[in-house]
Amino acid sequence: MLQSNLLIVAAAVSAVSALWPLPTQLSTGTTSLVLASDFDIDLSVISNPPQDLLDAVSRTKSYLQTDQLEALDVDRGASYAQSLQNASSLSSLSLSFDSGHSGDPTSISEEVADAIENRVEGYTLTVPEDGSAATIKANSTLGLFRGLTTFGQLWYDLNNTTYTVEAPIAITDSPVYPYRGFMLDTARNYFPVSDILRTLDAMSWVKMTTFHWHMVDSQSFPLEVPEFPELSAKGAYGSSLVYSTDDVQNIISYAAARGIDVLPEIDTPGHTAIIAEAYPEHVACPGATPWATYANEPPAGQLRFASADTTNFTASLISSVSSRFPGKYFSTGGDELNTECYAIDEPTQADLNATGNTLEQALDSFTQSVQSVLVDDGKTPVVWEEMVLNFNLTLSNETIVMVWISSADAAAVAEKGFRLVQAPSDYFYLDCGAGGWVGDSPSTNSWCDPFKTWQRAYTFDPVANMTDAQAKLVIGGEHLLWTEQSHASNLDPIVWPRAAASAELFWSGPGGNVSEALPRLHDVAFRMSQRGVGAIALQPLWCALRPGVCDISA
Amino acid sequence: MFPRLASPALIFTLIPRCLGIWPIPRSLESGNQIIKLSSSFDISINFTHPPQDLLDAVARTKQAIQTDQLGRLVVGRGSTDSQAFGSANTFHTLVLALDHDAPTPRPIATEAVVGLDTRDESYSLSVPLDGSAGVVSANTTLGLLRGLSTFEQLWYTFDGMIYTNYAPLTIAKDFPAYIYRGFMLDTARNFFSVSDIKRTLDAMYLVKINTFHWHITDSQSWPIQIAQFPELARAGAYSVDQTFTPEDIQDVVSYAGERGIDVLIEIDTPGHTAIVGASHPDYVACYLSEWITFAGEPPAGQLRLVDPVVANFTADVLSAVAKTLPSTMFSTGGDELDTACYSADAPTQMNLNETGRTLFDALDDFTATTHGALHALGKTTVVWEEMVLEYNTTTLRNDTIVMVWISSDDAAAVVQKGFRIVHAPSNYFYLDCGAGEWIGNDPTGNSWCDPFKTWQESYTFDPLANISSGQESLVLGGEQLLWTEQSGPENLDSIVWPRAASSAEVFWTGDTLPDGFNRVQNISEALPRLHDVRYRMVQRGIKAIRLQPEWCALRPQACDG
Repeated sequence: MLQSNLLIVAAAVSAVSALWPLPTQLSTGTTSLVLASDFDIDLSVISNPPQDLLDAVSRTKSYLQTDQLEALDVDRGASYAQSLQNASSLSSLSLSFDSGHSGDPTSISEEVADAIENRVEGYTLTVPEDGSAATIKANSTLGLFRGLTTFGQLWYDLNNTTYTVEAPIAITDSPVYPYRGFMLDTARNYFPVSDILRTLDAMSWVKMTTFHWHMVDSQSFPLEVPEFPELSAKGAYGSSLVYSTDDVQNIISYAAARGIDVLPEIDTPGHTAIIAEAYPEHVACPGATPWATYANEPPAGQLRFASADTTNFTASLISSVSSRFPGKYFSTGGDELNTECYAIDEPTQADLNATGNTLEQALDSFTQSVQSVLVDDGKTPVVWEEMVLNFNLTLSNETIVMVWISSADAAAVAEKGFRLVQAPSDYFYLDCGAGGWVGDSPSTNSWCDPFKTWQRAYTFDPVANMTDAQAKLVIGGEHLLWTEQSHASNLDPIVWPRAAASAELFWSGPGGNVSEALPRLHDVAFRMSQRGVGAIALQPLWCALRPGVCDISA
Repeated sequence: MFPRLASPALIFTLIPRCLGIWPIPRSLESGNQIIKLSSSFDISINFTHPPQDLLDAVARTKQAIQTDQLGRLVVGRGSTDSQAFGSANTFHTLVLALDHDAPTPRPIATEAVVGLDTRDESYSLSVPLDGSAGVVSANTTLGLLRGLSTFEQLWYTFDGMIYTNYAPLTIAKDFPAYIYRGFMLDTARNFFSVSDIKRTLDAMYLVKINTFHWHITDSQSWPIQIAQFPELARAGAYSVDQTFTPEDIQDVVSYAGERGIDVLIEIDTPGHTAIVGASHPDYVACYLSEWITFAGEPPAGQLRLVDPVVANFTADVLSAVAKTLPSTMFSTGGDELDTACYSADAPTQMNLNETGRTLFDALDDFTATTHGALHALGKTTVVWEEMVLEYNTTTLRNDTIVMVWISSDDAAAVVQKGFRIVHAPSNYFYLDCGAGEWIGNDPTGNSWCDPFKTWQESYTFDPLANISSGQESLVLGGEQLLWTEQSGPENLDSIVWPRAASSAEVFWTGDTLPDGFNRVQNISEALPRLHDVRYRMVQRGIKAIRLQPEWCALRPQACDG
C-alpha cells in the first residue's frame, strides 16, 4: 500500500527534478530521449562566436560525458532501461541568437562587466522528443551561456547511456533579480586560487552572477598591490599566501568566462588592523587590548580616517586595486566601525581638534574622498548598511548598500532611496551555528546562532515590509562565508549546496516550496559532487532517493 | 607589532613548553632547547622478535617525521628558532625498549583488543639534550606505540631542518586516565568508504583514541555484507558499491589494530532496523509506516522482538558478525525503541496477548537470546542507556557496558545500577548537532540538539560529575560521535577534526595537567596545542578545519575572550 503512495509522490515531483534554479517557464513531457554518441553542439549560424562561448560549449560537452549522474530514485533509473532501448537519440544542440540580436556577438566576459541593469540573461531552450535538433536561443551571449548551463542539468546516466525521460522540453527563462552572489572572506583564513576557481565553477552551475570577494581584513592582507607592495609583504600570512596580480587576473577572467562578475571589497575604514604592519602611521589603536573594547574581534586597529594623509593613502590604495578590475562595482566596506578606538587615538583626536570636525564629519569627508576616486574611475561604490543607517554621510545616489546585520534593516535602507543587496546574517550567513571561536570561552555559541539551513534561506522574502517603489531598489542577494572557522578543508561542505538556495530564490523569485525544492537541490548537490565540488549530504541517501518521504508532513 | 594580551610572565606559566603534544602526557618535564634531527635518524628496537606491526609502526613514525613538514605555530613559523640551529646538538637515535623481557612480544593488534581491565598503554619517553639516544620504554608493544605517537608530535620543520625546541624532554610515565577513548561513526545514514575510515583511524591514532565504535547499520541502510545472510545487504545497502564485504571489515579491523585501536561494532537492535524489512518484511513491525508517528526519524520499522523466530534470527546475525571480530566487545544498541510502533502492530499485540507478557517482558526475552549468543562467543555486550534506564531490562549481565547518550545527567543513574559506562552524551559529544533541521519541509526547524558542541564545551566535560565515590571505576571513558544524516565523505574530516581530539585528552589526561593545573580551567592553554595537532593532521592529509583565523593560531591567547 505504501509502495503505491511512494510512486505517486515520486511521479508528482520528478518532472523537473534536475533543474536549479527552476526556470520561469517550463514544460516537460514523458518521452525518453538518449544522447547520441556523436552528439555535438552546433554554433554554425553564429558568426565570429567569442572564444569564451566556444570554451563554454566545450565544458558543456565534457560535463555531458563525465557527470555520470544516476537518477535519484530508488532503483537509480534502472526501471527506464526498457524505454531507453527504443528511445530516439539527440545528436545536436543548436545555438543561435534571437532576431533582436545584431552584429558580431560580444563575449560572455564583456557582457558580465557591463552595468547590472544592462545585462541580458534570458534564453529559450527546446528539446524535441523525436531526436531532431535541440535549440537554445537568446539575445545575448550570456543568455546562450545560461541556456547551456540548463541543458547540462537535464541528463542522467544509466549503464553509460545519457538520457532524459522528460522530452519534449520547452523552457523560457530569465532571472527575477540581476544580482545573485556569493561572498568569500579570504582574510581570516587564506584560500588558494584553485579553491576560488572551483567555487566559481559551482556558482556558475546555479547561475550566480557575482563573486563578492572580501579580500582583506584585520587579520591578513593577502592581496598584492603593486603600488603598495608592503601591504601583502608584511600583512599576508606567508609569502605563498598572497594573491598576485596574475592570480587576480586569472580569477577575474575565469569568473567572467562563466558569467560571473567579481565585486572586490577593500573594507575601510574598519577591519584594517593588518595595514599597521606596513603603514603604522595610518592605523589607530593597533593591537589595543582588551580587543573586545576596541574591535568586534581580534585584532583591534582601524584606519585613521580623520587624517588627510590616511585619506589620501586610502583613496590611492582603492584606486590602485579598482583599476585592475574590469567590473563596474567596487566595495569600500564600511561595517563595524569602533568609536572607542578613535577615542583613545591621540593623532585622531588631534586631527579632530585641528579641523573642528566631529568623528562623523571626518568620516563623511573620508568617505567622499574615497568614493569620488571610484566614481571618477567609472565605478559604482558598494557599502555595508552602517554607512547609510548609522552615519549621516554624503553618498552618491548610485551607491549600492549591502544589508547584513538583519533582514529587518532592508526596508530602512530602501526608504533612503538606495539600491540594495540582501545579505542578511539571519538568513544568508553560512558561518553561523559553528560555535564560538574566541578562545577561553567554553560555553559561547555562534553570535548568529542558529545555523542557517538551506530551507530558511529559501523562504526569505526579499521585499518584506517594502512599498512597491522600494521593492524595485532590491537588486538581489547573496550568501556569505566569513572564514574565522573555515579554510580550504571545509569550504565546499560549508557552502554547498546551501548557497544554491539563494541562487534559485533570486533567479526564480521568492515563494518557492521547500518540499518541492528539496529533490532538485539533492540533484544539484549530487551533480556538484560528480563534478568535484564537495557538496554535503542534506539527508540520508535513503531520503534523497525517495522525494517527500522524509518531509515532516510525510 | 601587536602587543599580547597577557604579560610575558603570565604567558610563560600558562603555556607548557610542549605546545605540540595532544593529549598532554600525565607527567612531563621539558626544556626549551633546540636539537636537530639527524638526516640518518633511526629508531632501533632493543629486544628480539619484535612483531611485524611494531616494525610497521616504527616505519610509519620515521616517515611521518620526514613528511609532516610542520612549521611551528608562531609568527615567522620558526624563523627565530633557526638562529639556534648552528649551535644545536643533533639527535640520532630513538631506542624502543620493553620493561619486561618477553620471549615473544605480542603484536600491537593483540594488545589493543585484550580486555579493558588488562589493557596496558603506559610508556615513558626521554629525549636528551646532548644528542645521545632517546628512549621509549613500555610494558607492551601497545605502550611503545603510544610513545611513538607522542614522539612524532615533538618535531617541526623550518627551511628543511627538522628539529624540536622542547629538549631535554622527560615523560617519566604516561598512561591514560580512562581506558576507553573512542570515536563513533554511523555508516548507515550515509555511506563512508574503507579509505574514509582508514583516514579517520590515522587521525585517531595521532591523538591516542583507542576505540572505533562502528555504528554500521541503521534503518536507512544495511551496508555490511554477511556471508550467511547475503539478502540483508543485497536488499538493504544503498548500492553494491556501498557495502562492506567481510574482507573490508577485516581490513579495517587490522588497520585499526595496528594503530592501537579496538573496533567495537554495533548492530543496533531491536529499533533502528527498518531496512531489515527490505529483505525480511515479516520480521519488521510498522515497516515504512508514517514515520512521525512510529519512529524518531524516517523510515519507520523495528524488529518484531516478541517473535522467537525474529529473536533467533537476530542472534544469528549478531553472532555471524561478532565471531569474525577480535574485540571482546560487541554492541547490540537498544536505543529509541518506539512503543507506538508495537502497539499498532497486530502480530506483536497478538503474541503479547497469547503469552501474557508485557512489551518489556518480551524485550527481556529478546535480549536474553541475543546477548546469550554473544556471551557464548566470549563477548562483552554493550548497550545504549535506555536498556537500563527506560526499559528496565532485567536480563543484562552485570558486566554489560552502557553508553550514556541522551544527557550527561543520566550517567550517575546508570552507575548507580552498578553498570560500567561510556560517556557519549549528546549535550557534549555529538558532533552533528547544530547543523540545522534535515527533515524536509521544515523551514524554521533547527537541530534537535542545538547548539553546536564546540571543542571547548567538550573539553570541559567532567567524567565524574555526580558519580558516587567508590563508583568512579565504573566510568570506563567516553567518545565523541558522528551521526551522519547530514554527513558524507565530503564533510567527514571537517566535522570531526580537530573537535574529536577534545575528548581524547579529557579521557587520556584526566583532570590534572602535568604542571598541576586543572584541565577544565585551562582551555586557554589547550587551544595552542589543539591548533598544533590540527595543523599536523592537515599535513597528513586529514582535512581538519581551522578553529580560528590563522592570525590567532600564530598568537597564543591573543584571541581569548
